[in-house]
Amino acid sequence: MTTYSEQLYQRRRLGWLIGALVLFGFIIAVRLVQIQLLQHNYYLIKAASIHQRKYEIPAKRGELFIHDGENTAPLVLNETLKLLYADPTFITDKVKTARAIAEVLGESPERIYGLLGKGGEYEVLARRLTSVISDKITALKLAGIGLTDQTYRVYPEGTLAGQVAGFVNADGLGQYGIEEFLNPDLGGTPGLLKAKTDTRGIPIATSDNVIRQPKDGNSYVLTIDRNMQAQAEKYLAAGVQAVGAPSGSVIIVDPFTGAVKAMANYPSFDPNNYGATTDYRDFANAVVSDQFEPGSGFKVFTMSTGLDTGKVKPDTVYNDTGLEQIGGRDIRNAENHQFGIQTMTDVIQKSLNTGVIFVLKTLGGDPTKITAAGKKIFYDYITKHFGFGLRTGIEQAGEAAGQVNPPSTNDATYANMTFGQGISVTMVQMVAAVSAIANGGKLYEPYLVDQIIGSNGAKTTEKPKLINANVMSAQAANDMSKMMIQVVEHGSGYLAKQKGYQIAGKTGTAQIPKPDGSGYIDGVNIGSFVGFAPVDHPRFVMMVRVNQPKVSGFAESTTVPIFANISQWLLRYYAVPPSS
Amino acid sequence: MSTATIAIRRNQQLIRPQAKLKLGPVSSGIMVTAVIAVLALLYLNQITKTSVFGYQLTELQTMQGKISGQRQELAVEAARLQSIQQVQSSNVVKTMVPEGPVSYAK
Repeated sequence: MTTYSEQLYQRRRLGWLIGALVLFGFIIAVRLVQIQLLQHNYYLIKAASIHQRKYEIPAKRGELFIHDGENTAPLVLNETLKLLYADPTFITDKVKTARAIAEVLGESPERIYGLLGKGGEYEVLARRLTSVISDKITALKLAGIGLTDQTYRVYPEGTLAGQVAGFVNADGLGQYGIEEFLNPDLGGTPGLLKAKTDTRGIPIATSDNVIRQPKDGNSYVLTIDRNMQAQAEKYLAAGVQAVGAPSGSVIIVDPFTGAVKAMANYPSFDPNNYGATTDYRDFANAVVSDQFEPGSGFKVFTMSTGLDTGKVKPDTVYNDTGLEQIGGRDIRNAENHQFGIQTMTDVIQKSLNTGVIFVLKTLGGDPTKITAAGKKIFYDYITKHFGFGLRTGIEQAGEAAGQVNPPSTNDATYANMTFGQGISVTMVQMVAAVSAIANGGKLYEPYLVDQIIGSNGAKTTEKPKLINANVMSAQAANDMSKMMIQVVEHGSGYLAKQKGYQIAGKTGTAQIPKPDGSGYIDGVNIGSFVGFAPVDHPRFVMMVRVNQPKVSGFAESTTVPIFANISQWLLRYYAVPPSS
Repeated sequence: MSTATIAIRRNQQLIRPQAKLKLGPVSSGIMVTAVIAVLALLYLNQITKTSVFGYQLTELQTMQGKISGQRQELAVEAARLQSIQQVQSSNVVKTMVPEGPVSYAK
């Protein structure tokens, strides 16, 4: 029998126990309220972050094709290859594993063993493995060895049209050329998978998974003709090397559409191995990104302005004294020539600086001086009619706009501009403008994309874009073409002459301005030749540029031979019969 | 057959004899359990079948991916072999003679 004090003690103990239990229950209840009500959203998000994961589904990058006669050939493709990796912590016998892998890869096991023994948890053993090799490795069933897909950009033509294509860097971004310009359209839109996962993080197929399918990038067929591109690159490389020049470029366009058939630069680079290129300037497509003073090649636009405004005709004469004094500066013909009474045709054929200054003067109505009105007309023609000073919009990254001084600039600068100094242009602008002379007065936008192939396979053919239908009258264009024929027949372009064909052209030998703008660098120049053939119905307009040739003389000995070789090949390629 | 005739025939079926079979609570319970069991089995069967098809689908998708990859590899290899550089360095091209002057028929 228990005493009263014992009963009291037991009751107290029971009371404490009940109190402790109630307190414990209360604490749990408070904690539950805190977790389930007050921190509801926090734990909801935390749970979702553990059970749900988002996966980006990559979109397939579009591919590029070029014309090959009537067919197309791939210029840029995608290739999914395997990357071989190892987690050495799972490998018990490293020697055996290294030997087995090396045997499949066809190499010595030392390198593999060295990588396995480095102590890391992830080592890349090999890249770009084909399915044949990767299947053999899978069949070995080696612990700690894995394979994963990696998509690579492949340029099967190697260096061909390297600068036109550009490349895709390690981050998957297009760099230079069309890869950069069309990067958003080529890259497409990646998809998304928001899925519940198991404990290992593997998505579980449930009805509430959210999936957004990727939209693959567009593919493109370019206007580039593979054979023309190859020939242009071949003759350009040979021509540039022959005159000891460091670089050069060629562009060929269809004058009736603006379609670019070839754009070649020397030196080029292989986009498959762009990391091996030491000079980053080799990546840029100089045809569109290099602005330069065109020199005498620009005289055709000054003369075209004079002809179209009716201020001069091919047989208009002036007295060539060999010297013009403008704004206190002496401007002379090349090699200080002076020919006396000369026609406008002579001005182009003999490339007379004084002759095109005469044209500028006549534009203002007074043949004795340069006027503001004359400068305004000249400025309007070269910018609004021929499109200088504006980007053409060609599908290439880094296109330069060139620079044209406004009419408020001093007379001496404007006099220089008439023969291509004090003005900067790009080659693509030059061929577009000369195309307007070749086709009878229409300015087309130069373009590279011929056809767009959507991710669903739908094809859209791009149409030529006419920018200005009235650059100059057909008569003025015809007169200008005839003047340019004289350059080839009897002038500095004589090396481009071909029996039976009428070829029009104009040479240009431009000085290179000093970086500080204080005049020109001595002893170096940029040679150029722009022309088209056959004149009665031109199939192509071509411009050749050679930078800083080491041989003495003008563009006639550096660029014209390259033009001649390519145009001879082109006339055969197009099967153009001789006109006489 | 006219509408009136159909109505008469329907009226003939209006009085039906009472069903002789009567189920007690236990029997009903067993029956319901049995039906639930059968339905459960059918459900399990379908689920299993779906899983099997899902597995087959995954296998086929893997195979499709593999074949697609091989096709891609072959396309790239074909493009490389047909590239201008490859063609120009081939023995066939090296044995070709240079083109001569072209004559056009008037």
